[in-house]
Amino acid sequence: MDHPAVEVDGLHVGYGSTPVLVGVNLTVPAGAGVCVVGENGIGKSTLLRCVSGLQQPDEGTIHVFGGDPGATPEFWRAVVTTVEPPTWYPGLTAREHAELVCRAHGQDPDQAGVDEALERFGLGGHVDAIPPSLSSGQKQRLVLAIALLRPSSLLILDEPEQRLDREGRADVAGLLADYVAGGGSLLMASHDDSFAAASGATVTTMESLSAVTP
Amino acid sequence: MTVVPLAPVRRWISRTQSAHRERGATLSSLYVGVLSVAIIGGMLHRQVAAIFWPPAPDTSALAAGSLIAVCYGPLYLALRRFGPLALSRPAASWLLPAPVSRRRLLLPSLRIAGIVAVVIGALAGLAIVGHAAPRAEAGDEVALLVAGGGLIGLTLLLVATAAQAGGRWGDVLDRLAGLILAAGLAGLVTSTTLDRPRTIEQWPAVTTLAPIVGVLGVVVLVALALVIRGLAATPSDRILDASRTAGTLFDTAFGIEPSFLTDMIERRYWARRRLRSTRLFPRLPVLVAQDLLLTLRRRSRLLWLALGAALPVLLGGAPGWVLGAAVLLGCLVAGLTAAGNVKTDAGNPVLLRLLGLSSRQAVLQRLWMPGVLAGLWAVGTLTLLDLLGNLASGPWWALGLTLAPVGAAAAVHRARVGFVRNELLPLDTPMGTLSTGPLVNAVMGPDLLLLGIPAWIAIGQGSLSWTTVLVQAVFGVAGARFYLSGTTGDDRTELSH
Repeated sequence: MDHPAVEVDGLHVGYGSTPVLVGVNLTVPAGAGVCVVGENGIGKSTLLRCVSGLQQPDEGTIHVFGGDPGATPEFWRAVVTTVEPPTWYPGLTAREHAELVCRAHGQDPDQAGVDEALERFGLGGHVDAIPPSLSSGQKQRLVLAIALLRPSSLLILDEPEQRLDREGRADVAGLLADYVAGGGSLLMASHDDSFAAASGATVTTMESLSAVTP
Repeated sequence: MTVVPLAPVRRWISRTQSAHRERGATLSSLYVGVLSVAIIGGMLHRQVAAIFWPPAPDTSALAAGSLIAVCYGPLYLALRRFGPLALSRPAASWLLPAPVSRRRLLLPSLRIAGIVAVVIGALAGLAIVGHAAPRAEAGDEVALLVAGGGLIGLTLLLVATAAQAGGRWGDVLDRLAGLILAAGLAGLVTSTTLDRPRTIEQWPAVTTLAPIVGVLGVVVLVALALVIRGLAATPSDRILDASRTAGTLFDTAFGIEPSFLTDMIERRYWARRRLRSTRLFPRLPVLVAQDLLLTLRRRSRLLWLALGAALPVLLGGAPGWVLGAAVLLGCLVAGLTAAGNVKTDAGNPVLLRLLGLSSRQAVLQRLWMPGVLAGLWAVGTLTLLDLLGNLASGPWWALGLTLAPVGAAAAVHRARVGFVRNELLPLDTPMGTLSTGPLVNAVMGPDLLLLGIPAWIAIGQGSLSWTTVLVQAVFGVAGARFYLSGTTGDDRTELSH
């Protein structure tokens, strides 16, 4: 039986006495994209963290492809998230990071198109740089390049358009649209409605997901 | 541009800070500091005396010469690593960009560094003289030599200060200091292998020493004046770097968390390196290939490791159990050389999630390179001890190989430790309160060296049979295997325990 990529039901999360998510329901069908928009502090990142299994909700259920989100290697082979910023390996260049991830997933780096992907994300001139020396926008592009290079079934992206220039946003939106068209599922949070539309995701607001507005 | 006088600004800062402190807080800190030094000094005065002035001279002329390099080389490298000119973090943020005299701003830092360099230089001079010089009435000679030691310390500070403001020649000088240190260590090792090393029979004459020290003093004073004159030319970025280092050093000391400092040094090292992307070795498992690449990129570390294999020879005269412990600790250090990536993964598992590997797969692959380095190091050092006659004839090289899994497990365990847990309950002892967090943190890693107990006993006794090699091999492999299965899982990615 086919399961939705993400199924959230009655999610409650609070920080101390402050409720952040109250009765949130969300479904991302397999092979589709959903973009959650809303103002800062409304709980978009918290929702994505819960769906990624990186934060335990106070109440409610979350299923990713019919199973519990968690720390299992199987989950992380299917799901890629950029909710948390990575700590880069010391002494490894941007290209070698991409190659490392490809090889860990059994991909041949050349066939996976590591060099082409880095070029496409505007990192062609920075392949020999160590990631900490890149600008925040370049690091963001490197994370997205690696996330799209490795095989996955679901992308969970937190404001992927952040720190990208206009051209970069259009390119990334196009790649995400291709990802969804290729059968991948996408759940992301964004501030940019036009970026969300260009990436082939259905735009929804946090308020519309919540049974009760906090 | 109008230069604002610095002294009133500093007085205002000091007055304002004092207003926020409790009355007598500084005096109380000073009292506690002096009392601590007095108590520790009282407890360890015999050991301190043995270090600086043993009852009889116990080193050869070669060892004394080597000690000069071993004492003053690290002093120079430490001065370079920490600045030597640095400001506090608030001063670097607010006073460095202010229109105040740069020279006056940096003078206190130079003064403190100067006092430290002179004291360490003089103490090093005293220790070298105490170990090498003949025991005869020679008060003037000792005073002159100790003063000379202090002047050498000050000279090194002035060179380091000039290097801080200078160009690439500073890096060349750092490498030279490293080579001198290495030569000193090699000299020390060589001196222990000589049957009848030459000793220093008599003091140099005061008539020879006094002019040398006097001229050196004048030269150093002139150089000091020149350095003070050129102090304002020290580039801001170098001062900022040194100030960050000083701040991190204080964080490390107050938080009892060495990783703050080591992480910063690591970050700076890689930021300076110019790398070229290369293919990860395709025939190796991916994380082994990554560790191998990282190890090969730090060739100087490998050279120091190879040189370090000779250091246990210095303990040839020590009790056997000390030598055994040194060999096991050496295996841990060798393994840690290739355990940097484990530390990254243990601190933040984001990349492990991206790799999609289980913690068991990851740790199994991460054990290989530390194991290879620990094994090779142990083979090298035990073979050397065997050849030099410190150990009775036996298959010591084979014992070295069996220590590979021990060093690997200990190094990976150490790299996975993470931050010091300062929330652990302190222990009340008759000597005062003992913080258990740093203690627990310090033993994690070395605790797995207990897997090398058969080797420890064999080295302690100085004799070895193939049965012991076999027992050690079983102990090491089974222990590493147990560590792997007990602390990792196929169903999780996180490396933290």
